[in-house]
Amino acid sequence: MTVEERSAVLSLLNSAHVTEPTRRALLERLDVRYEREFFGEAEFERLRALALRLVPHNPAELNLTGTVDHRLHSGVGDGWRYADALPDGEAYRELLAALPDGFETLDGDAQDTAIHGVQSAHPHAFEDLLAELTEAFMAHPLTQYRFGYAGFADAPEWPRVGPNELEPREVAYGPR
Amino acid sequence: MAPADSLPTDLDILVIGTGAGGAPLLARLASAGLKVAALDAGVRHPPEGIATDEVAQLGLFWTDERLSAGNDPVSFGRNNSGRGVGGSTLHYTAYTPRAQPDDLKLRTEFGVGEDWPLEFSELEPYYDELEYFLGVSGPAEYPWGPPRKRAYRHPPLPLNGAARLMQKACAEIGMKTSPAANAALSRPQEQEGYGTRHTCTNRGFCQAGCSIGAKASMDVTFLALAEAHGARIVDGAQVTALTMKNGRVTGAEFMRGGEVEHLSAQTVILAAGAVETPRLLLMNGLANSSGQVGRNFMAHVGIQVWGQVEDDLRPYKGIPGGLISEDTHRVPGLIGGYLLQSLGVMPVTYATQYARGTLKWGPELVQHLSGYNHVAGINVLGECLPYEHNRLELSDELDGRGLPKPRVHFSFGENEQKMNAHAEALMRELWDRVGARDVWALPRAAHTLGTARMGSNPATSVVDPSGRTHDVPGLWICDNSIFPSSLSVNPALTQMALSLRTADALLGDLKGQAPRS
Repeated sequence: MTVEERSAVLSLLNSAHVTEPTRRALLERLDVRYEREFFGEAEFERLRALALRLVPHNPAELNLTGTVDHRLHSGVGDGWRYADALPDGEAYRELLAALPDGFETLDGDAQDTAIHGVQSAHPHAFEDLLAELTEAFMAHPLTQYRFGYAGFADAPEWPRVGPNELEPREVAYGPR
Repeated sequence: MAPADSLPTDLDILVIGTGAGGAPLLARLASAGLKVAALDAGVRHPPEGIATDEVAQLGLFWTDERLSAGNDPVSFGRNNSGRGVGGSTLHYTAYTPRAQPDDLKLRTEFGVGEDWPLEFSELEPYYDELEYFLGVSGPAEYPWGPPRKRAYRHPPLPLNGAARLMQKACAEIGMKTSPAANAALSRPQEQEGYGTRHTCTNRGFCQAGCSIGAKASMDVTFLALAEAHGARIVDGAQVTALTMKNGRVTGAEFMRGGEVEHLSAQTVILAAGAVETPRLLLMNGLANSSGQVGRNFMAHVGIQVWGQVEDDLRPYKGIPGGLISEDTHRVPGLIGGYLLQSLGVMPVTYATQYARGTLKWGPELVQHLSGYNHVAGINVLGECLPYEHNRLELSDELDGRGLPKPRVHFSFGENEQKMNAHAEALMRELWDRVGARDVWALPRAAHTLGTARMGSNPATSVVDPSGRTHDVPGLWICDNSIFPSSLSVNPALTQMALSLRTADALLGDLKGQAPRS
């Protein structure tokens, strides 16, 4: 995250266009880092390597792997799972174990080939993990800034809702 | 005054669940002077605490794990299952079309499915009352269904980008559209027990909770009214058992803050929804002489089609379902039909649906998501026939409270598959016409219905046409589990109509009884 990006994010988050509950949630997420608690060290490294291919990101900026680990450790779920699938944590462990030895050090193309293999062998776990990583990615204030998403800055209102009818704060937010 | 955490005694009525099934009747019965209380597993979510952020709002959803089986496993949690005082109305999009008369007579019309054991004319006065009370915003003339006796209370909400695209595309192929009926305010409204509900600010986060009280969720409407008339609402109270004496229900046992507590009442109304209601009945072995508890689980055909356009649409703005067409209410070759609606969408919902629906990953995924501001959606809501094999059962797996997790088997039948294909083709054509690119379809099933069906015959149904269980004196059910068929419209408004109707039936019963000594 560049200094400029951080400053732009904080400037909008701290403005009167963002309500207090929204600001609290997004400020906390902006810098959150989670210590590894659920996965073993080797599993965690492998998950990090997998996550980088599935949802390309800079792990110094976005702690996607830590977010997944934290969620599993806390025991919070999303309300359902496929009846023939293992509980999320076990299913993810099985998925990681199915990747070839040394996956973390393979080159990108070889990693992608291996990923296609586990995608067909463990479709439910693959889908769940992909969705969870995608959620953590899209919910992050930095991603939202880079995509020019300003939907959280909804106070006091959106006076116009038609195509191309943007407020100044929407136009201004995001990379030039 | 009793301390706030003390439990009421000598209750006339205990209601389990405060969503669209439990809340209207709670208010009606309290207003009639009965001593009533409601239990809800969730907690209160006042508007001022609602964040414009999907992850922060996860607490609005039922996140205890359910097991999804069958050929078309249903996703629960954020897709359709609320938790909180107000139930799923905390996250509904406030889409409130009426059912049409023929929705209630599917078997008569097609020889399959089920007829409802009541007439449209019995629902109509309740629809009328509800649209006024909730403050539905809608068009001056609604093009489908019988003429209404009274216009919608408020003018329609503004059409967002997706709604305008759908309007244009439908016009090109000769499909009629209309601004939809939404229970969110286009003008401020006074609400007894709550105060002033403000005009919708076009914050398209209805599915993550309304932060300004514009949306008619139950907490700011019927529950506020109920409490103003003396109803007690106990939140954070997960019911674990119904208690019985001499074959009659006497109350409910519940867990609150780790303690097991009990409330007694003359009458218990189960309004916990089409998953928790049958789960509780099956755990207790109650009301199931028909063997129908848990059977006929239905979820609407709800396929969505998404695309991206050149225009900057900002799909987070405006009421998400702004435009409707019911021109496909009947389609040759299909049993029943569907409605079509435009869709705005919140970013995380869109992103995770795209990931699950397309299984795209890597740079391709990120590239697509970066176009979020240009996304427009359209979806359908269509009839799902009741099938015995689509059912809820108790699994051997236990949840955190030691209660069996429910397992829900769901597979589309031939009609649902045909409807899905018909709807996808139509929506792809519409999005082609607006020049959308990267068009993709997400087959899905929406809402939880059935599992304790209503009917006149005790051998084939769980509750009678007013909501009394056939088997257990004093036990009523009023939630979407009693729907005999799915209807080709969103269920919330009809659910509330059934709730008021059940309350009136119960009041009628009480009037006919000798006063309690």
